[in-house]
Amino acid sequence: MNAQTDIESKLKAIFKKVLDIKETEIVPGSKLDESLGIDSTEMVEISVVIKKELGIVLKDGELKKTFSFNDIVAILKTK
Amino acid sequence: MEKIAITGLGIISPSGIDKRVFWANIKAGRSAVEKIDRFDASLYPSRIAGQVKELDAYSSVSSRLLKKIDLFSHMALVASELCIQDAKINLAQENLKRVGIFMGNAIGGWLYAETELRDMYLEGREGVSPFMASAWFPAAPQGQISINYGIKGFSKTIVADRASSLMAIGYAARTIIRGKCDFILAGGMEAPVTPYALLCCNTSGMLTENNGRPHSAYRPFDKNRDGLAIAEGAGVLSLEPQLRVKAREGVHVYANIIGYGTSTDAVNRIEPSADGQQLARAIKIALDDAGLRPQDIDYICADGAATQIGDATETKAIKDAFGEYAKKVIVSAPKSIYGNMLGASGVLDVITTVLAMEHDMVPPTINFETPDPSCDLNYCFNKAQEKVVKNAMIINRGRGGINCVLIVQKP
Repeated sequence: MNAQTDIESKLKAIFKKVLDIKETEIVPGSKLDESLGIDSTEMVEISVVIKKELGIVLKDGELKKTFSFNDIVAILKTK
Repeated sequence: MEKIAITGLGIISPSGIDKRVFWANIKAGRSAVEKIDRFDASLYPSRIAGQVKELDAYSSVSSRLLKKIDLFSHMALVASELCIQDAKINLAQENLKRVGIFMGNAIGGWLYAETELRDMYLEGREGVSPFMASAWFPAAPQGQISINYGIKGFSKTIVADRASSLMAIGYAARTIIRGKCDFILAGGMEAPVTPYALLCCNTSGMLTENNGRPHSAYRPFDKNRDGLAIAEGAGVLSLEPQLRVKAREGVHVYANIIGYGTSTDAVNRIEPSADGQQLARAIKIALDDAGLRPQDIDYICADGAATQIGDATETKAIKDAFGEYAKKVIVSAPKSIYGNMLGASGVLDVITTVLAMEHDMVPPTINFETPDPSCDLNYCFNKAQEKVVKNAMIINRGRGGINCVLIVQKP
């Protein structure tokens, strides 16, 4: 498994855990608030779990609910 | 005041969630107060409570939302759904900008709050769930109900200690009369069976410490009472004006709200005023509002704090307001069966009272053993009494000298 796929799969696992959703509900290119109904507090929770589980520190507000899943993968890959 | 109909009930209580089960337990005087079993309460002076069972069996709240809300919001959501179903209201056909939500609560969502506070001290700022921001505050259930149904009308959360939900119901009825809403979901919720909330309730000095006998510990108007047992729960009523009720097919009217009165003691931050005069005044205001005389009241659902001063001053106020009829009217505190739901106690009192009207049966104050000379009214003790109840009065009081009285009438 290469690094890129690893981040994607770990982020999917985080989404599943935080949002109580199935992996098939994640539409990689769609805005998170529109496709998954994510609110701002859930976005913060996802940032906290990313730090705990992936060791990647994100600034307050760096992840936005209008981003897509792919947008977040791209941000994490720059870290 | 103009009559406002109660057309639906939603109950979440230690004595049951299904209204038939609830009434059967109330009628039988079967205590639901027991040893607290969901956390180690062994070092608390009072460690008994009424705890809700089976909430999940009635809940359709998603696991995703449950992570973000406190138990008190969960109970309020389930109670609202049960109420809407009971009232046969189809919200898809309503103007949701004209629907209101009036809820009462005393302490907020403390299970969520204290868990996150602990995490803050153990793990630092990042240990606190971001959901805390919207989970803990007293108006959170009102918000969750509005989001769940898209209800956008004039709404409020009333915080008035143990009188909160009765005050919310009174205020809601007034709001309908003023023409601000087509109908209102009104009631309250409380979830005090948590480590910190229980501690705060204990330090108020109002809780029974008769831990060895949980079922018989909460005994209003008994000489050997030593305080109330707390309980968790929620209740929601649908309140509708008469014209709307007449226009709606198949609606069942449990009772009509016909009078409301409030006052404050302005004496002490915990205990009620020793003279009971302001409670007597609230009773008189409610009677005037209803256009009734004392002798028109068939039943009083009492506050029943089971403290020495609480019971004695409630008795005194009833005597002052009712005069020679005071010793004839039947009084009981059925919350002794399931515990005192603090901010949600008022709506459960209203529900119990309207079910009493439906069944022509006065519910008992349980656990009475020894008469108290300072409590000498016509109490219904230990066993339900058959009686046609046309007009009933509900009394709630809160710390800070809050007095609240509602009068309901059989339709």
